[in-house]
Amino acid sequence: MRAIIILVTLAAVGCGRTAVRASEKEFLADKVMVFDSDPHETDADDHVMSNREGAAGGHGAQGGGCGCN
Amino acid sequence: MQLARAAAIVVLVASASAYADDTAEVSTQLFAEKRDGGKGGLTVIHPQADFGVDLGRYVNLAAGYAADAVSGATATVYKVDAVTSATKFSDTRQEGHLALGFQGRRSKISFNAMVGNERDYLAHAIGGDASIDLPGRNTTVALAYSHSFDQVCDKDNGNAMPLEREALTGADPCNKKDGLFGKDDPGVTVWHDLSIDTAQLTVTQNLTPTTNMQIAAYGQVLDGFQSNPYRRVQVGPSSPQEHIPNERARWSVTARLNRFLPKLHSAVHFSARFYDDTWRVVGGDVELAYSQYIGNSLLIRFHARVYQQSAASFFKDAFFYETQSTAGEYYTGDRELSPVRDAVVGMKLTLISIKGDKPVWGFLDRLELNAKADVLLLDQLAANSNADNPMGISNEFLYGNSLLDAVILQLGLAGSF
Repeated sequence: MRAIIILVTLAAVGCGRTAVRASEKEFLADKVMVFDSDPHETDADDHVMSNREGAAGGHGAQGGGCGCN
Repeated sequence: MQLARAAAIVVLVASASAYADDTAEVSTQLFAEKRDGGKGGLTVIHPQADFGVDLGRYVNLAAGYAADAVSGATATVYKVDAVTSATKFSDTRQEGHLALGFQGRRSKISFNAMVGNERDYLAHAIGGDASIDLPGRNTTVALAYSHSFDQVCDKDNGNAMPLEREALTGADPCNKKDGLFGKDDPGVTVWHDLSIDTAQLTVTQNLTPTTNMQIAAYGQVLDGFQSNPYRRVQVGPSSPQEHIPNERARWSVTARLNRFLPKLHSAVHFSARFYDDTWRVVGGDVELAYSQYIGNSLLIRFHARVYQQSAASFFKDAFFYETQSTAGEYYTGDRELSPVRDAVVGMKLTLISIKGDKPVWGFLDRLELNAKADVLLLDQLAANSNADNPMGISNEFLYGNSLLDAVILQLGLAGSF
């Protein structure tokens, strides 16, 4: 629980900051910068690992990159 | 049976997918695992197909299908020498899901439903997810939740005590109503309920023009029958059906980081996860990956991952169930609950075609062909003292003694139009 609080706090510190301007997002918008850009690969990997390992979860929502929905 | 257990997770992840364009994706994964015992290995073929269409500017609809065709060897009884009792089995799982999404300029929300059907396991899940870009559009916060109402077929053991319970066999009928709900066959088989609640909070943050990160907090509560109804465990002179707790709460935290390297036209990726649960399984993994563009249409990614977990509090090496007794009231032969470390190394090729003057294949805006190959390594660890175990642990599972455990091959085709 302490780890969650620390990590969420660290993330929240960055929330809302204008860290990167829209004109600077060329590289962030690239496919390789998008978390879980291939949903089928993510699903299939999770499927295999959840049948081999006791742990579960961890992949977040798809997205990232340009940081916009 | 356990194949369907992952369904809620799959729905959770899949439902978070955005469909900004009409999309279609098909893929097939082949998983081949080495197993001892002279009955061959284990093979799983996992095809998937997903389609998404925009219904106007703000609404989208997605539908998908996935299946598992499993065949190979399995152990009849978890014991010091499980290898000689290996038998063959085969099973098929099918799953369909639907999602209805609404999106605005900075936010989106979707609702989804999933149905999974297996001979001995039925899954029904509903869920939703929402995400919003915070002002500045450098931070995205996403929340997802799903509830799964599952049913597991089991031998009707009446009021028998755990150590007297018999395991389900492939010959036992698992009847269904309309193919969607379990139908008890009193005196022969019954269906047990299993509810699974899963929630996940994700924060994605742009840090610099070339770096972004993501933190995900995941929690899941399972309540109901979670034993493998087929699995028996050698406890002293008898071999009753596996018996594990009905309640389990689990959580994990994951941090991921991407950094683009403009001069090399490549990117490095880092991921670390910590996992814990009420059965005292504690685990963690670290993954590193490197993506390299070759020209504008070929992308190669190399990745490596290591994972390790401790044993559940009630897991014992088979020798100790046989020569001593149960762990409290419980006993299991589930490898997922044993201490283990494993690793994955592999690579993925992506061929990207983007329409120029003419659409790709005459109608697509973008087409991606993916090919991926992974090698899985496994090192089974002892749960109890090696010094007190003259029989060792090398034959209690079918997974063999060599480090090379399995290979995964995946082919996929994704298009938007």
